[in-house]
Amino acid sequence: MTLAFACALGHAPGITAWRDAAPPAQREHLEAAFAELRSRLGRARPDVLIVFTAEHWANFFLDHMSPYCIGRAASFKGPIEPWLKVEEASVPGMPPLASELLQALYERDIEPGFTDEMALDHGTMVPLHFLTPRMDVPVVPIVFNTLATPLPSPRRCYALGEVVGEVARASERRIGLVATGGMSHDPGERGHGRIDEAFDRAFLEEMRTGQTARLKAHTTAELGAAGAGALELLGWIALAGALGGASGEVLAYEPVVPWATGIGAMSFHVA
Amino acid sequence: MTAYALQKLIREVNRDASTRRQFFESPLAVAARYDLTAAERDALIARDYAALYALGVHGLLLRPFSILHQVSEPDYLRAIRGEPRA
Repeated sequence: MTLAFACALGHAPGITAWRDAAPPAQREHLEAAFAELRSRLGRARPDVLIVFTAEHWANFFLDHMSPYCIGRAASFKGPIEPWLKVEEASVPGMPPLASELLQALYERDIEPGFTDEMALDHGTMVPLHFLTPRMDVPVVPIVFNTLATPLPSPRRCYALGEVVGEVARASERRIGLVATGGMSHDPGERGHGRIDEAFDRAFLEEMRTGQTARLKAHTTAELGAAGAGALELLGWIALAGALGGASGEVLAYEPVVPWATGIGAMSFHVA
Repeated sequence: MTAYALQKLIREVNRDASTRRQFFESPLAVAARYDLTAAERDALIARDYAALYALGVHGLLLRPFSILHQVSEPDYLRAIRGEPRA
């Protein structure tokens, strides 16, 4: 049993880039939750974080898309955005674990893309800025295509997560799992600024109570109705697959209008 | 694919510091390296966000590109929604 830690949190660039635009009470609530996650992560002492994440055209492009892609690099540079107000860093990777995950997934007939060179954008760097600010805990990013159709189904992302969970539990390493992104938002599109609080709270409740059947039964159309950015919850659904029904705790949720995003922060009971 | 080369160019400006510098120095020179239609090139050089959005540039490429050019969120949203300037 070496699944040491699991959490999920938003990654909106406003969290760091437009920090002070948020109402202070909302910002303080979220930052306190992020600090609590960091403290729990510190106590769990993971050797590595497997990060279920989304990206914003940093690596994926229409010259070659994968439904999901595992970063097997020895290190990852980020963030790509010079305006993010997160210091540039090189985050160590863990190629042997990435290879182990790929092997296990391919044996189970799930074939992610993989790459030995991956840049990190705010989708991973904002969460790491709060969870591991020294950027010293190795990561293996699993990036989901939330950008260009066709998208992988929630059912398939859940199945991928199940295999990741099996690998984590069988591993000799202490493994932490992190899902990033969401919740409702429509970044850069005409619905930018629209937040669907009812959708967000219902989704958090499904994650909190480990409603696996409900989580994998979502459709991409249903997620996308809460804004294009809500498709990033595919990563949360993969995390739910890895957790196999484990319950969790919602540390904070805030619909932050100046950040144009509903932002959640959750921790899960894995020990 | 809609606006393939245009989106590819904008993506490089967003993620690659060297392309970004070149684009700020000479957008035409960078544009010349991509197979753009006249309408795409004109919209890009004019940084006409309404036109770029209508041409099919993805919001997660266009908004970061506009941030690099110091465009405020309300101005960006007015442009892509086709609303008059405040």
